[in-house]
Amino acid sequence: MRQSLPARLFLYASVVLTCAVLIFPIYWLVVTALSQPDQLRQLPPKFWPDEPRWSVFGKILEERPIFLWLGNSALAALGAVTISMVVSVLAGYSLSRFRVRGGQSLGLFILTAKMLPATLLVIPLFGIFRMTGLIGSMWSIILAHATLIIPFTTWMLKGYFDTIPRELEQAAMVDGCSPLGALFRVILPVSAPGLAATALYGFVLSWSDYAYARTFLTNAQGNWTANLGITTMKGEYISNWADISAASILVALPILVVYLFLERYLVGGLTAGSDK
Amino acid sequence: MARIVIDQVRKSYGALHVLKDFSLDIADGEFVVLVGPSGCGKSTMLKILAGLEEASGGTIRIGGRDVTDLAPGDRDIAMVFQNYALYPHLTVAANMGFGLKMRGTPADVITRRVQEAARILDVEHLLERRPRQLSGGQRQRVALGRAIVREPAAFLMDEPLSNLDAKLRVHMRAEIGALHQRLGVTTIYVTHDQIEAMTMANRIVIMKDGEIQQIADPETMFERPANLFVAGFIGSPGMNFLSARAQGGTTRLFGEAVPVPPGADGDVTIGLRPEHIEAGPGAVTFMARPSLVESLGSEKYIYFEAPDDNRPPGFLKQSEEDQRGSRLIARLVNAGPVRIGENVTLSFDPARLHVFDPATGKAIR
Ligand SMILES: Nc1ncnc2c1ncn2[C@@H]1O[C@H](COP(=O)(O)OP(=O)(O)OP(=O)(O)O)[C@@H](O)[C@H]1O
Ligand SMILES: [Mg+2]
Repeated sequence: MRQSLPARLFLYASVVLTCAVLIFPIYWLVVTALSQPDQLRQLPPKFWPDEPRWSVFGKILEERPIFLWLGNSALAALGAVTISMVVSVLAGYSLSRFRVRGGQSLGLFILTAKMLPATLLVIPLFGIFRMTGLIGSMWSIILAHATLIIPFTTWMLKGYFDTIPRELEQAAMVDGCSPLGALFRVILPVSAPGLAATALYGFVLSWSDYAYARTFLTNAQGNWTANLGITTMKGEYISNWADISAASILVALPILVVYLFLERYLVGGLTAGSDK
Repeated sequence: MARIVIDQVRKSYGALHVLKDFSLDIADGEFVVLVGPSGCGKSTMLKILAGLEEASGGTIRIGGRDVTDLAPGDRDIAMVFQNYALYPHLTVAANMGFGLKMRGTPADVITRRVQEAARILDVEHLLERRPRQLSGGQRQRVALGRAIVREPAAFLMDEPLSNLDAKLRVHMRAEIGALHQRLGVTTIYVTHDQIEAMTMANRIVIMKDGEIQQIADPETMFERPANLFVAGFIGSPGMNFLSARAQGGTTRLFGEAVPVPPGADGDVTIGLRPEHIEAGPGAVTFMARPSLVESLGSEKYIYFEAPDDNRPPGFLKQSEEDQRGSRLIARLVNAGPVRIGENVTLSFDPARLHVFDPATGKAIR
């Protein structure tokens, strides 16, 4: 498509502006982390510190158990995503393929669950975990995150399965697969991009949680997730924003790594070519 | 290879009866084509045969074995889908070998049979590609290949050519025909294209609204249609229909007395194929004033009004391919010049007429 020069200029300007708005907070996070704590509040603000304080990362890694927190966050996210994927692959596939009595309303129920704010469930979940003695254990956070993730991933996967022609599993069944065999041998491999996107989404949901971790894990220091850990760095009277920013950068990195790892699946248009 | 016996198969979705008492006995090695307008239940019947859809009643036997309650994989059939349904994540070779692999066939046997099928279908050079790297015609061949490597008792094909362009379609039609000659596997082929049906079938089954209208070989289908629907469905351009009154074995068409079968009495619908109208005088001769002449080189389609007394019955929906409306069509081969608005002499042989009861639509012989 060819556009006139003003139209293209406008397009590029919008792109640059959008990127700037998105990237500025991250840039400012980096600036804050690298500045001397006493230079943070100066006016006019400095857009790059005179002497970037790279040592801040080493310092907070020494002072705080950042790796422990990251490990806990990763454990919670992996656990929650694993449970969620198993449940929502089966649920999403059934919702997409089988017309059963009440299936529609069940689907809508899941959709509604997705619309409720996560905090609404904090209190009931707390009650349940208290009764089952899970408060403070990693299981509490894994299960809580799974309840948060499953409605989303189920609907994402249902939508993805809907785009896969039914003839694909019919062909597999004629070729000798059982219905479940067709799911595992044909539908899931074909859905790799959808599965990757869905898992990543669940991972981010779990990684970015604070409310659940704060409620269930506060008294179990060894199980603190990264987000919970960082907020404990904010003291009641003094907060070292440079340290907090540096820790935040370290916590954001794993998401970036996971994204880079899954990127090749996310982009792939693997279903192209199954039919006309 | 196997004989297939379909006995009184019914299928309903709630109150919607999609198939009504479908019975068909298919001989070993036969090529049967199910044909009919969209929504008449052809695909449903094929899916029931494949086991992908459950029948509401009736039984299916393949090769003497009652398969009514068997899973698709246990029926020893292979299916070719309209959209090919190749596995996008597997290579062509793996696509073709998938069914054998699922049945635990040793790898060297799979390789050999895939090679052989690939050679027959001329896709040997594509074996390592993925489906998305193939053209439509190549995908079609691979889909056929996936069916033949299994060496099944029967092939089921659901409009396998409808995604191809016209030229390729004619080519693949001939190839499927040749493949059937070579392998001799019982084949059930679904299409809504009557030309595909006429050219490929040993026997045609014409369906409408879930009911079989007629089962016959292509020639009989054309020569002796059992009812108005079949008469109008087969042939291109479609049959002309005229209304008339019969009495004592004669009726009047174009002002001439014409003999009809003795069973015809009272109002009748007369069918006359465009190709059975000839230029010049003959057994029954009449004059027509063309309102449209389409010339295709060697042949001409001439559109003209039916005489007032024989106006085509209004209830008959005319063929969708042409715009004849209430006009009649004559298909003339090697006729002299014909001009719009200038009378021409035409004729037909009354033995070529088809007579139908307008109330039931049934042929009167
Ligand atoms: N799952 C279903 N639920 C309800 N009705 C259905 C279902 N599947 C098919 N039908 C109906 O059954 C009828 C026959 O469908 P079928 O697919 O067999 O038609 P077809 O002859 O193959 O038509 P086409 O030439 O368009 O493929 C149609 O009226 C269709 O609407
Ligand atoms: Mg169909």
